[in-house]
Amino acid sequence: MSSDLVIKNLHARIADKEGPKEILKGVDLTVRHGMIHAIMGPNGSGKSTLAHIIAGHPNYEVTAGEIWYKDQNILELEADERSKLGLFLAFQYPVAVPGVTVANFLRTAVNAHRAQEGKDPKETAIPVAEFRKMLREGMKHLDMDESFARRYLNEGFSGGEKKRLEILQMLILKPSMAIMDETDSGLDIDALRIVANGVNVLAGKEMGALVITHYQRLLNYIKPHFVSVMMDGRIVREGGPELALELEEKGYDWLREEVIGHAS
Amino acid sequence: MPAKNAHQSETNMPRFVALSELTGDQIALAARADGEPEWLIEQRIQAWDFFAQTPPPEWRRTNLTRLQPEQITPWIGPQGTVLHTDASQIPEGVVFKPLKYALQSHEALIHDRLARLINPLRHKFSALRMALWQDGTFLYVPRNVSVELPLHVSYTLPHGSRSLFPYSLVVLEQGAQVTFIEEFISHNVTETVLAGPTTEIFAGQASQIRFISVQRWGTGVFHLGSQMLLLDRDAQSEWVSVALGGEVQHIEAETRLQGDGSTVNWLGATFASGNQQLLTAPWLRHMGVSNESHMDFRTVVAGKGYSVFDGMIKIERESRGTITRLEEHAVHLTPEARSDSIPGLKIDTNDVASAGHASTSGQIDDEQLFYMQTRGIKRDDAVRMIVMGLFEPALTAIPVETVRTALTAAIEAKI
Repeated sequence: MSSDLVIKNLHARIADKEGPKEILKGVDLTVRHGMIHAIMGPNGSGKSTLAHIIAGHPNYEVTAGEIWYKDQNILELEADERSKLGLFLAFQYPVAVPGVTVANFLRTAVNAHRAQEGKDPKETAIPVAEFRKMLREGMKHLDMDESFARRYLNEGFSGGEKKRLEILQMLILKPSMAIMDETDSGLDIDALRIVANGVNVLAGKEMGALVITHYQRLLNYIKPHFVSVMMDGRIVREGGPELALELEEKGYDWLREEVIGHAS
Repeated sequence: MPAKNAHQSETNMPRFVALSELTGDQIALAARADGEPEWLIEQRIQAWDFFAQTPPPEWRRTNLTRLQPEQITPWIGPQGTVLHTDASQIPEGVVFKPLKYALQSHEALIHDRLARLINPLRHKFSALRMALWQDGTFLYVPRNVSVELPLHVSYTLPHGSRSLFPYSLVVLEQGAQVTFIEEFISHNVTETVLAGPTTEIFAGQASQIRFISVQRWGTGVFHLGSQMLLLDRDAQSEWVSVALGGEVQHIEAETRLQGDGSTVNWLGATFASGNQQLLTAPWLRHMGVSNESHMDFRTVVAGKGYSVFDGMIKIERESRGTITRLEEHAVHLTPEARSDSIPGLKIDTNDVASAGHASTSGQIDDEQLFYMQTRGIKRDDAVRMIVMGLFEPALTAIPVETVRTALTAAIEAKI
């Protein structure tokens, strides 16, 4: 069984006011098991769309291509089934769900992961004490107050609180492959360090990670093994960590010219 | 022949007769046989005459075609009222018993309050309720007395009965404090049943009332009710209105902020599924100075369910410095389900501290569903959590765990 995330010739579009708009125009990408793979690119290049499609957002139409993970073409799976397969998306803009507490939400998610076909969910559910311990440890790691668990999911959370909660969910669900969508956006340096520490608990070890970012800044804290650059719905360049530094120094324009130059 | 109830007397009154055959004389006879005071019998007869002469009200959003009031057979007698109490837990001086029995011990108090908030001659059904109310509940909390234990009454359908007209009368004297839970509950019925409850609550100066009203009738029940809460100076109140059951509901409800400095926090939870049509018309009427009111109603409709929120904030001319906010949010789980929201704001003064309303309606947010699904939660479970989350403020405000648990189960069963 392959635990690499393999994306082949992915084309996708979204319904727009002026008709369907193609956003991904043939993405080829492999995220290796246990490796940290950064995707960089200017705004509007399709990075977040790629993250949403991997996670199973229903608003996009995949017109061609495949995404393979653990010997399955995951495009055929619902979002919750992909999660149970070990995929995780840390949202750029986490969604508020009023009236549902963080603790209740997380316990439901944990139990959904533990559920087994043909078994009573009560039998597979996590014991309350064990869950509390797991939650407490995770929150401590991310420097979160215990009262956090009783608040409603992302409701009235600051940007930093939302991002910490994303990482808390990741620590608790222990995915084998995480997609981090602009996890650094809206974070100050202290919060960024805390969030990165949380990611580094798992990333690059038993967990592979696809780290999507506009800036190189995050990559000082989460060290990538590979860097791919996305532009206009395609991966246009691949390299090692040095590529991120080059982009930081020179911006994206030179690459755009080169790529367009190559294309023409 | 069942054992004779201590408070039930033999009369010539036929126990089962269609309303079309019932007469004012028979009602008076039965009331007299029960030892009711003359003033009450007069009120009943006046209301009965009004009922008999008046056509049904023309409610645009409440469909009464399946209800033929004249064919209803009322059950004159004890009406399946269950007062959940532990007498040892009730402080001295507090009265909590069926209204009919309380007439014998507290006639003067009842005479001063009964039907003073809700006019029995408002329409055909309010008149019917006055004419035929039976045991009901009387709750009296003396000055500066706090009742810690929530006081809970269940109105159920007596076996074989096709109607029920309970009357709750609640009086809090100055500085009193109580939680009152009124629950309507029954099995499913195949024939049409009419429930016509009336609730009047008088909250005295600086008193604190938490009133919880839970409607979870079985199918087939028409619930045409009226509730009013009167707040004296500095009275503080919380009101939770839950509507889950029945076939058709039409509830006229009002909080009258009459005394200065009074407050109400009013939470609602309505869930109409199947072919249910549930209407609630909650009004906030500001009369005093520096009053504060918040209304937050949540509605879920599923199947071919239909719900109506006909809410209103009315600020009278003499009211000053009001703070008020009305919110209503409706979520549709199926394309066939419908909801109408008619929030109104009528202000007759220039001196308002703040007044606003917000109303939304639509399907469950796809982004919420997606977010939850990416954590491994199945779509159906995510829907269930979002709905329960919507009702969370109302449910957590209910202080009795058994009631809360039963409601949670009833809501989950409807999703």
